[in-house]
Amino acid sequence: MENTAVVELDNLKVKLGRREILHGISCRLGVSGTGKAIGLLGPNGAGKSTLIQTLLGFLKPSAGRARILGIDCRRSTGEARSRIGYMPENDSFIGEMTAVTFLRQMAELSGLPPEPALEKAHEVLFHVGLGEARYRELRTYSYGMKQMAKLAQAIVHGPELVVLDEPTNGLDPAARRRMLKLVVEMKAEQGMNVLICSHLLRDIEQVCDEAVILKEGQIVHHCNLEEERRSNRSFVELEVAGDDKHLRDVLPGIGAEGVSEGGGRWRIVLPPGVEVEAIWALTTQQNLLVRKLTHRRDTLEEIFLKAMGHLGNTGEKASGLRAQG
Amino acid sequence: MAVYKRGYQRYDGPLTGGWTRFMVLPRYAWQRLYSQRLVVILTMAAFLWPLLCAGFVYLTNHLDLVPTIDQGFRDFIQVDGRFFRIFMYVQAAFASFIMALAGPSLVAPDLANNALPLYFSRPLTRWSYALARLAVIAGMLSVVTLVPGLLLFLLQVSFAGGSWLVANWTLGASVVAGFLIWVLILSLVAMAASAWVKWRVVAGAVSLACFFILTGVSEMIDQVFRVTWGHAFDPAWMVNRVWCAMLNVETAEGPAVGTCLFSLTMFVLLLVAVIEKKLRPVEIVR
Repeated sequence: MENTAVVELDNLKVKLGRREILHGISCRLGVSGTGKAIGLLGPNGAGKSTLIQTLLGFLKPSAGRARILGIDCRRSTGEARSRIGYMPENDSFIGEMTAVTFLRQMAELSGLPPEPALEKAHEVLFHVGLGEARYRELRTYSYGMKQMAKLAQAIVHGPELVVLDEPTNGLDPAARRRMLKLVVEMKAEQGMNVLICSHLLRDIEQVCDEAVILKEGQIVHHCNLEEERRSNRSFVELEVAGDDKHLRDVLPGIGAEGVSEGGGRWRIVLPPGVEVEAIWALTTQQNLLVRKLTHRRDTLEEIFLKAMGHLGNTGEKASGLRAQG
Repeated sequence: MAVYKRGYQRYDGPLTGGWTRFMVLPRYAWQRLYSQRLVVILTMAAFLWPLLCAGFVYLTNHLDLVPTIDQGFRDFIQVDGRFFRIFMYVQAAFASFIMALAGPSLVAPDLANNALPLYFSRPLTRWSYALARLAVIAGMLSVVTLVPGLLLFLLQVSFAGGSWLVANWTLGASVVAGFLIWVLILSLVAMAASAWVKWRVVAGAVSLACFFILTGVSEMIDQVFRVTWGHAFDPAWMVNRVWCAMLNVETAEGPAVGTCLFSLTMFVLLLVAVIEKKLRPVEIVR
């Protein structure tokens, strides 16, 4: 099971009525048990929610196959669902219940015995910051609290994969930060795999290790964000004033390589693990005055826009794209 | 350690079996419903009639305690099919009111709060969810129908002895089967109304009105066309007709038992289709 993909799609086609929403998509996303997050991006109507609903067994594929953690979503729906936690996009709760009762019921439905279910309900409510409000009925909660309660019910049974559909939608900045922090903790501390569906690029960029961009029911881009970040971080444009003729000699000292373009302008490639602060240190050491230091990187927004066809693929940026659709 | 100090850790202990999971929804629903005073009062009130009937059973088996009763009346008061039919008729009415009170909270809140995706994202199929919800109302109705019916029958057996049981065991079987049919129909009507109408009060009214309206329609057909087959549209009448046949009691003119059973089956299938259509995790707009 070591190399089992978190999500594996094989020529997956899904129809809603007569309309085909997903047009035969294939990919392998994430590795089970690694505690990584996968971002599912795309404009409205791209098929993100349809894909999630198919993975959860709500919709039947018209062709192809979808697997979660190595389990066929259609044939072994029960087994697949017992290992998933799902946070839907819209308001979903039982208003007449207190948060503790609601979470306990959900945990028991996932197979936890009553006593551990109650313990986990309390634990997870404190974890998401609803400890003080856990005996209040859910209908009295604010929107942000309801979002947290939805997240709590998704993780109360300790699933291997948590599927979050637009988790930060409608949250104020503080609540959004808290939600993203919880997602990062879920990955790092609990080793859960997370599948996030969102149209907020910053959220995906902040918490995901891998991203898939959907457009009109097809995958148009699949990238490893960690690698993208690393490769982009190594590229620095520097402009200095002063005698910079020794700069080329000292750059290898930090493992970097540089090319002078004349007039104090340099292009420097930093090795993995070396941060841009090392350049500052070198310039200070060489008594150089930094006029400009650009830490150039492809942002996810650029990648997304290119995948959507809003930006032209140019030069080195284009090399980072591996379009599949 | 206090829970707020402990922090969250993933659960990795043993999991419960399928039946335990199936009973989670009924358990929580019963807990919620029986915490409502009106439901408790109505359930308790539903036991008054069985208590009176139990007194009647006692009296018929101890007529020597009242020597003043004449022979004609002694022959009239007997624990037979007629007695159980009257008992079932009244008790069925109580069950209908409990259904109207408790039924709407079965599915309507889940639909109103869009909670179905939360249930169906867990190892719970649509049918197991529907059966679990059906078990909630069927369980509540059985408490006021099957249980007192069987107790009355056993009370009579205890007074009248084994010879009465041998001669009248079909009465006991008829009480169980008759109430099962009624409980099934009431439960399905409650589920369908609750799934169709999201507002709880309206759902309760709809589930009761369904019986009154169908009775009215069937009477109208009978009167306008001067026929008796109009009763085939009245589930309450048809269930009563089936009971009478099982208890070997005469009934008013109308469709035959076979027709009634066929019509009731169609009614049940229609209700199942309504429930099937509404209980979906996502609504597909075609």
